[in-house]
Amino acid sequence: MDTLMQFGTGVFGTAWPAVWTLIKIVLIVAPLMLGVAYLTYAERKVIGYMQVRIGPNRVGPLGLLQPIADGVKLLLKEIVVPSGANRFLFVIAPMLSLAPALAAWAVVPFTDTLVLADIDASLLYILAIGSMGVYGVVLAGWASNSKYAFLGAMRAAAQIVSYEIAMGFALVVVLMVSGSLNLVDIVQSQQKGTFADMGLNFLSWNWLPLLPLFVVYFISGVAETNRAPFDVAEGESEIVAGFHVDYSGMAFAVFFLAEYAEMILIATLTSLLFLGGWSSPVAFLPDGIVWLLAKICFMLLFFLWFRATFPRYRYDHIMRLGWKVFIPLTVVWLFVVGIWMMSPLNIWK
Amino acid sequence: MFNDFVAPSLYPAAPEIFLLFMACVILLVDLGVKSPRRTLTFVLTQLTLLGCAAITLLTSNTEVVYTFSGMFVDDMMADLLKLLVYGAVMLALFYSREYIQDRQAIPKGEYFVLALLATLGMLVMISANHFLTLYLGLEMMSLSLYAMVALNRESAISTEAAMKYFILGALASGLLLYGMSMIYGATGSLEITEVGERLYTYSVDKSVLVFGIVFLVAGLAFKLGVVPFHMWVPDVYHGAPTSVTLFIAAAPKLAAFAIVMRLLVSGLITQAADWQGMLIVLSVLSMGIGNLVAIAQTNIKRMLAYSAISHMGFMLLGIVTGVVGGDARFALNAYSSAMFYVVTYVLTTLAGFGLIMMLTRAGFESDELDDFKGLNKRSPWFAAMMMFVMLSMAGIPFFVGFFAKFSVLQAVVAAGYYWLAVAAVLFSLVGAFYYLRVVKLMYFDEPKIQEPIEGPLFIKVLVSANGLAVAALGLFPQFLMSLCAYALMRSLT
Amino acid sequence: MLENYFPILMFILVGLAIGVLPVLMGWLLAPSRPDSEKLSPYECGFEAFEDARMKFDVRYYLIAIIFILFDLEIAFLFPWATVFKDIVASEPMRFFGFIEVAIFLTIILVGDAYAWAKGALDWE
Repeated sequence: MDTLMQFGTGVFGTAWPAVWTLIKIVLIVAPLMLGVAYLTYAERKVIGYMQVRIGPNRVGPLGLLQPIADGVKLLLKEIVVPSGANRFLFVIAPMLSLAPALAAWAVVPFTDTLVLADIDASLLYILAIGSMGVYGVVLAGWASNSKYAFLGAMRAAAQIVSYEIAMGFALVVVLMVSGSLNLVDIVQSQQKGTFADMGLNFLSWNWLPLLPLFVVYFISGVAETNRAPFDVAEGESEIVAGFHVDYSGMAFAVFFLAEYAEMILIATLTSLLFLGGWSSPVAFLPDGIVWLLAKICFMLLFFLWFRATFPRYRYDHIMRLGWKVFIPLTVVWLFVVGIWMMSPLNIWK
Repeated sequence: MFNDFVAPSLYPAAPEIFLLFMACVILLVDLGVKSPRRTLTFVLTQLTLLGCAAITLLTSNTEVVYTFSGMFVDDMMADLLKLLVYGAVMLALFYSREYIQDRQAIPKGEYFVLALLATLGMLVMISANHFLTLYLGLEMMSLSLYAMVALNRESAISTEAAMKYFILGALASGLLLYGMSMIYGATGSLEITEVGERLYTYSVDKSVLVFGIVFLVAGLAFKLGVVPFHMWVPDVYHGAPTSVTLFIAAAPKLAAFAIVMRLLVSGLITQAADWQGMLIVLSVLSMGIGNLVAIAQTNIKRMLAYSAISHMGFMLLGIVTGVVGGDARFALNAYSSAMFYVVTYVLTTLAGFGLIMMLTRAGFESDELDDFKGLNKRSPWFAAMMMFVMLSMAGIPFFVGFFAKFSVLQAVVAAGYYWLAVAAVLFSLVGAFYYLRVVKLMYFDEPKIQEPIEGPLFIKVLVSANGLAVAALGLFPQFLMSLCAYALMRSLT
Repeated sequence: MLENYFPILMFILVGLAIGVLPVLMGWLLAPSRPDSEKLSPYECGFEAFEDARMKFDVRYYLIAIIFILFDLEIAFLFPWATVFKDIVASEPMRFFGFIEVAIFLTIILVGDAYAWAKGALDWE
């Protein structure tokens, strides 16, 4: 490692820290992009098997090259910019959608030392940058100058902001019990408690005492990403593809990337906030990044499972669930946890 | 980590806390009230204000008490002004009851809740000892008032007035905040008394400070509605439902007086030389333009709006003349004359708009000057009341308005601004013309319609009492004057 | 301290670049043969009836306004929640620190209850 540092300083001089950061960023983004690509593959395979089909199996062994083929195909498709569209906003919208989904990863810790930017306000940063995603959606719908896109964008935006409140309240409660905005501290605070002392770490993680919030947070995450069963905004059978109906080729692919990167992000955050991150479920096994990856895959499986099994929600039901069930529930649980922490039964000392 | 924490005393803010609690309760209770008259909501609202008055009286003492780390102050001036605010709001709500009943489009329950929240904003303004508290109260009041102006949703003119009020009000808030931030930059404190002390002890960056004062005064002028920041006043008075005009014309003036006193006198008295010049210009322009333009009005609400502009200009004279050239001998006299002026103006305005609303009926707004023609033939008693109001506003002896003007002029002369006193008298004479014109219309013109004024007996009694108070206070002004002086003396040491 | 934020800035730039690059590549590699039919906005094969920048339901505004209120509320709760453990641990702050936020939350809940009862949260 030291020799690498010396070599880098020798070659790049004072610019080396920046280059080194860039290398680290690439080391995060490249696997992430690969993950996104194979998440689409996994989605089709998993749903295929759930519906007693085989899924893609032609391109490469077991269809493993399918995502690559899709990418190349999209790359060679024409990017149509409709005549009535606002060209600048139309082109910039997919980028505004993807950039926040990626930029949030800057503060995500993979183990207690393996983190690109270990800042104190990492959760605040994620909340802030996560809220930016809605701009891409609204701008895309507006810029397309198509009724389907516009309706889809309005619906998607209202849905995203609605569920953001429930997510925010859930985060507040997580903050209350962990006492820090730093994601590393939040993960580490979950490794203390009665059960952890007995060696059963997984029962000390936040998911158990904060079970309602864990469920609300994850379901809100599904709604935030406009995934099934909350995908009315892009319901194919109702308003074709929603806000990106007029996008084609690579511009469409960028939206696609953003959606799947967002899914992985939500799964990762759920793992970090509620499932103990990289810590192992039982004390006799060592902690490590493997556990985090396993938890992310586990949460991602839920995304696919929902899509395969649930019928699409009606839009008024979605809004009712967000405003009239989740928000009251999270606020009540905030009070419950507050009183719990003040009572002698407090388990978060 | 928080072991040296001491919980702030909630005692000085008890009326505000009670009012907030009751406003929330009434908002929820009103959801269950189905009757179109909303009697329960109305009674609860009035009881709340009574309760606030009781709490203010019980917790009142002659000391100046600070709480919330110096953000909030409770002194005699605050107590007196708060009591007057409760009174003005209660009267305004009594007068509005029939008016809003006759107008289907106005949501009834929300009207009272918004009035209570606006009152809460006024209370916070009155007790503010911190730029942020002051701004909080101001916005609380303003936002409620914007909504109240727009309450009559079917009326295009109301909506337009609300829009104008909102946009200009937002601009004024911006100016005020900008001025506050400049003063914070110059002195390093947001606490008003602390700012005063620092200006006294340290030397500060004069240019930043004056810059801040200019913006602060402009923001205040917007909120007071004095020339050249008066454009919204006539439109809002005219466009708002008359009951809301009454509300805006009365209690908020008391709160505006309080923030002028807090900001300019408690905070920036050492810089009096800087803001006095600006206030003199504002005041002379307001008296001039207000009185002159009022002559040309045919709508009595617009006329009273311009009259309000000129009255606010006159009131500013009292504030200008407090400390002249470092000489504070006459300060108490000057400030208490300004306070007396505002209080009597509010009282007179309440009676005036109360009478205007008595003349309205369902589907008929009686806001043209012509509607007052021959009022004497229709109802001699209420014509006499209206005459009292007009004569008092004109400053005819011996009505209360006369003593208000007289005491302010005394302060102006004592401060040595003879030309200012002469100008004020001249403009008041101009103003007398349009007030007397209303009297002439009532007594010497033939009525267009004959039927006498109708309304619930209680409201008639209340309006009469209000009108008689205008006359009675003119005969015995001494009590109210010394009350104002005493409250200020206890607060301004 | 601030240098910890430098990687974040770079990450945001890289994120933007990853958004820009594919579109740029697509624009370079893909064919471009526009015609008026292809460029018309999609409306199931019909000619577009009218401009898409049309009036839309006022509920979206309502949702947006209520969202802003709640989002601000959450932003105010963040610092409190971060130190809540310390608040609980310190004897003089204990109840005051909790009750104060409880009142803060209750006020917005009253407003929410009002909006709920008035039907602002309903989508028929």
